Amino acid sequence: MNRPPDAFPRLPRSWWLKHRYFKAYMLREATVLPLIFFLLCLMGGLWALYRGEEAWAAWLVFMRSPLVVALNLLALAASLYHAATFFVLFPRVMPLRLGRRAIAPQAIVAGQWVGVMIIGLLFFWLFGRT
Amino acid sequence: MTHRALSIRRYLPDQDQASYWQRYEVPADDSTSLLDALHYVKEELDSTLSYRWSCRMAICGSCGVMVNGIPRLGCKTFLRDLPHELRIEPLAHFPVARDLIVDMDVFLDHLAAVKPYLIEDAAVGTFDPAAPTPHRQTPAQLARYRQFANCINCGLCYSACPQFGLNPEFLGPGALALAHRYNLDSRDSGKQARMPVLNRHEGVWSCTFVGFCSQVCPKHVDPAAAVNQGKVEAAKHTLIALFKG
Amino acid sequence: MQQGDFDVVVVGGGGAGLRAAIAAAEQARAEGRPQRIALLSKVYPMRSHTVAAEGGAAAVTSHEDSIEAHFHDTVAGGDWLVEQGVADYFVRHAYRELVQMERWGCPWSRQEDGNIQVRRFGGMKTARTWFAADKSGFHMLHTLFQTSLKYPEIERFDEYFVLDLVLHEGAIAGIVALEVATGELITLGAKAVVLATGGAGRLFRFNTNAGIVTGDGMALAYRHGAALRDMEFVQYHPTGLPGSGILITEACRGEGGILLNKAGHRYLQDYGLGPETPLGEPQNKYMELGPRDKLSQAFWQEQQAGRTGTFGDSDVVYLDLRHLGAAHIKERLPFICELAQAYINVDPIHEPIPIRPAVHYTMGGIETDDQCETRIEGLYAAGECASVGLHGANRLGSNSLTELLVFGRLAGERASQRASSRTHTSPHLLLEAANHQQQALSQRCERGNGGENWVTLKRAMVQAMENGCGIYRTTDGMQTALDTIRQLRERFRNVRVSDTSRAYNTELLECLELGFGLDVAEAACLGALERRESRGAHQRLDAGLTTRDDVNYLRHSQVFYRGEQAAELCWQAVDIRFSPPAERVYGDAAKEKHA
Repeated sequence: MNRPPDAFPRLPRSWWLKHRYFKAYMLREATVLPLIFFLLCLMGGLWALYRGEEAWAAWLVFMRSPLVVALNLLALAASLYHAATFFVLFPRVMPLRLGRRAIAPQAIVAGQWVGVMIIGLLFFWLFGRT
Repeated sequence: MTHRALSIRRYLPDQDQASYWQRYEVPADDSTSLLDALHYVKEELDSTLSYRWSCRMAICGSCGVMVNGIPRLGCKTFLRDLPHELRIEPLAHFPVARDLIVDMDVFLDHLAAVKPYLIEDAAVGTFDPAAPTPHRQTPAQLARYRQFANCINCGLCYSACPQFGLNPEFLGPGALALAHRYNLDSRDSGKQARMPVLNRHEGVWSCTFVGFCSQVCPKHVDPAAAVNQGKVEAAKHTLIALFKG
Repeated sequence: MQQGDFDVVVVGGGGAGLRAAIAAAEQARAEGRPQRIALLSKVYPMRSHTVAAEGGAAAVTSHEDSIEAHFHDTVAGGDWLVEQGVADYFVRHAYRELVQMERWGCPWSRQEDGNIQVRRFGGMKTARTWFAADKSGFHMLHTLFQTSLKYPEIERFDEYFVLDLVLHEGAIAGIVALEVATGELITLGAKAVVLATGGAGRLFRFNTNAGIVTGDGMALAYRHGAALRDMEFVQYHPTGLPGSGILITEACRGEGGILLNKAGHRYLQDYGLGPETPLGEPQNKYMELGPRDKLSQAFWQEQQAGRTGTFGDSDVVYLDLRHLGAAHIKERLPFICELAQAYINVDPIHEPIPIRPAVHYTMGGIETDDQCETRIEGLYAAGECASVGLHGANRLGSNSLTELLVFGRLAGERASQRASSRTHTSPHLLLEAANHQQQALSQRCERGNGGENWVTLKRAMVQAMENGCGIYRTTDGMQTALDTIRQLRERFRNVRVSDTSRAYNTELLECLELGFGLDVAEAACLGALERRESRGAHQRLDAGLTTRDDVNYLRHSQVFYRGEQAAELCWQAVDIRFSPPAERVYGDAAKEKHA
């Protein structure tokens, strides 16, 4: 590039506040934050299991606290939102073909949600019967 | 016929250090495009206003500007569809040369960098004018890349891309879509030659799939899809290289 | 001041210019002597007006077709004012150039088996038009531009506006140009120059052309003694959108679209193009697949008879595609759908498109020989700016995209060959010319002293041309147009621009374009007035002059520049070595004639 770098306008840090579309993008990226909290909880649970019964009981109490429940519900919502945006993007990144015909993007999106439901039902069947 | 106000960001490098806003009143009816409005300003109100334009039918790619913060083609933007207050600026993320004209050389440099031309397999043999033989390409093979061949190089996607705004070394949506167009062409064998340029930080990996480039594309090229399909190809390329040692 | 020396300088970055630059580079490589090639354009190459061509490019492709048929269609289409040796060369080289484009990656539309698909076009005996959906020019231009990036010897000067050619002892020595971004002048010494600057459709008020199509290159050569030839032949494309004039491709009719008047009648059958062909079964050289001049003339007749409809302020007829079906329309004519929807809010799948004729193409141009060389030694011209003699009095649709390949290549090769046997002339001449141009520019930008306004003059010019040199012309009308243009040329000397800045002074550029345009307009009016017959796109209403007159006017008009004096006109014989002039007929009349 034969241009001095200062010829280009500098993007301010607040660039993503300038447009609705960018805010939605940042929201998608930000879904990682509650998910990190959920993962920390999960790892804490594993650690408690390893430490013994007392720790496990304490962890269960911690998990029932309203703030933690709220944050984990937020994580669930965030993961669903992320999934929704990701599923829409997926057919554009990996356009699938059946023989010579391209599969419609809507079909691929629907297929992904069907997959989510199947896995959900599987988990419900495995863990939900006690 | 009603009157509409345009606020245009002016910049005259010969005279001023900084840009400023100037307001104009233009007549408009149902068919008035933004480009028509700019013509009215230039011919009737202020001949010093500078902007690029040519075909006025959304195919030459000259007249991109920011309209209320969104990159659009002036000739395909109609005042009837816009809110009453109009703020017109030069395309974002490019150096401004004058008024609504930006310096697009960086975009052309990026285009050239991806080898955007057909690279035939050596086995095909060179073109012989005495016995001209075209390649065969079925409609299905054509359909794989046709969408990405529709880019008019207007640069709107670069103004929509915050990653290009943050780092102008990023090849950007238009150039990467063009590279992908050739990589998908059944007549092309140049993917290996293009990969070193695509498979690096300033190549496909700078893209975070904001996706706004595809929203603003006036030709529905969907450069974001091209770039992210390019990531899959780049990842495959890296893996294969890894196994080959 | 920036200076450079090049072997070949190509002016214009459209289809012909890019093809010429690539051909020059390849020619030099083939001869084993690398050359420096400059490609100057007043816009980035992919903005050039080739981009707006829609329908396609003609070449004999199928086994049932023959180069003789393509030759005959071209010669008859041009009402025998075609240089037949040139047309012969053209039809013989058309196919290879389109295949070359294919090998460079042009996304031509295909048949199921992967072979090239061709479509019907007006005035052509059979389907022989290659196409890339309805964006053929766009795809060709981008393919050429992208391919040109392979050649490091082609040095681009994007957004440089050529102000003047520099000659030394009657031969080309270089050019002076304005760097639009900075307002600085540059001089490029050249052993050969190729002009590929496009047509002059913007001389007219209502046209399909881009804003840049202002006849600059024609005026550059004309001012230095090259002849402008056959400038009276201006093509009205029968189908432009009302209001804007945006082009609706002839391919719509090639695919089977029909033209209707306000009563829903397919009026073309009343103008020697019938009988009516069944809906969905277009037949070459019948009805909607007649040549453009005849179709535009039929519109005018319908308009006079009060059988046209109205759309906004325009009289219109209707292009109906509905019977083709949504799938076919979307596959073959997607851009037309986009344009009609965006610019007049009509969906061609559900409604007929209102259309009217609009100025589209300049058949005439800078006179060249059959090797694309002008009267100025070392100065070549190709594409719409040139009159190599292919189109005669009326161009057939889809011949011009092929023309810019066939003759762009030829001009590039010849320029390169010439350059390899020449040396540069001294730079003094160029500097002198640049100083002269600098003074002229400063004068234009002088403040104060009132002066004429370029907008007023431009409006007067385009109105005069539309009034005097329309689809049908009268002596009085043309005389008025010529007088007006001459007055405008005088007034132009006092034009002052109010923008005095250097960077991107687009007002100055528009003003310079107007100056070029006025010179070209005078040539067009003079040619029209002096051609006292009706032929192809030049139709007179004057009594006794409404038919073709081969005895007196089977000749090219040549107009020469005489500075501030009135231009001069001469006549030049036409090459009719293969096909003697015959009656030009379409529809069943042609069948009867050949029977």
